[in-house]
Amino acid sequence: MTATASPAAPGMKLYVGVWLGLLVIVAAEVALTYGGLSEGSLLAALLVLAVIEAAIALMYFMHLRYERRLLFWSLIPALVFVLLMLNHVWRDAARMIILSPHGP
Amino acid sequence: MSDSQMSLAMGHGAMIEESPYGIESKKLVMWLFIIADAATFGALLFGYGYLRAGSPNWTRPFTFAPTIINGIVMTFVLLTSSLTMLGAVGAAKAGQREATGRWLGATIGLGVVFAALHLREWFKMFAEGWSPSANPEGGSVLFGASFFGITGLHLLHVIGGVVAMTVVALMFKRGRLTPAHIETTGLYWHFVDLVWMFVFPLVYLMNAR
Repeated sequence: MTATASPAAPGMKLYVGVWLGLLVIVAAEVALTYGGLSEGSLLAALLVLAVIEAAIALMYFMHLRYERRLLFWSLIPALVFVLLMLNHVWRDAARMIILSPHGP
Repeated sequence: MSDSQMSLAMGHGAMIEESPYGIESKKLVMWLFIIADAATFGALLFGYGYLRAGSPNWTRPFTFAPTIINGIVMTFVLLTSSLTMLGAVGAAKAGQREATGRWLGATIGLGVVFAALHLREWFKMFAEGWSPSANPEGGSVLFGASFFGITGLHLLHVIGGVVAMTVVALMFKRGRLTPAHIETTGLYWHFVDLVWMFVFPLVYLMNAR
């Protein structure tokens, strides 16, 4: 048996809609930057929007939504796990602040 | 011709199983590369976050004009290049060779514009005294190291993508490549765009004045 072709892709109309949606998210990110938020709140908001953008691009532009589910589950959870594990660095960053010659 | 079809033609049909992912090997390999590269960029961005969180004298030098405006334009250019890449993939699958060339040409052009805008920004920063080891505002030099490191690696991916797309476009035009090659190249280009969706907010917007 041969490797099957990818399922039919959506048309340009959907892609243009997705593109416009991504531009709206970028505009929201810029607006939030100058919205007077604290640094922590801004970081959280930008991260959430960036993840939403990435998910939309992954699913529609990169066609992952239309591929077999096995491809998604083989690729994405492993990457998410790696990125979550990288969060272990933050305690050391807090220690660096305390040890810094410029003071906390 | 897919890997399975070629193996069948060579008489090895009994040994070939359908890919469990339902895609050709080159597409699967590109996905695997993308996941690995995403982890690399993720590590770089976490490293930048770590240095920033651990530096009490971090500088936030980016003014709205011209830096953030330039960043917005670069984001628009890259997002649009992803759209034109999708046009190229669609045209290739529909057997429209000339249209595929035009869409790919547009994507390559937008990639070159992005790289040019980025390099112009870099040289402006160099002229102001910024470098991977210098901070003209007296704050942490780690700002320059992380900024030029992250944006430099991304720029390298953009330039590599432009070169790859040019080669693929020329070979497709000569009939030596298939629409699957255009699609696989498109996956890489969308990934470059996807990385920028994190670089722009985390490196540019978080360092806006």
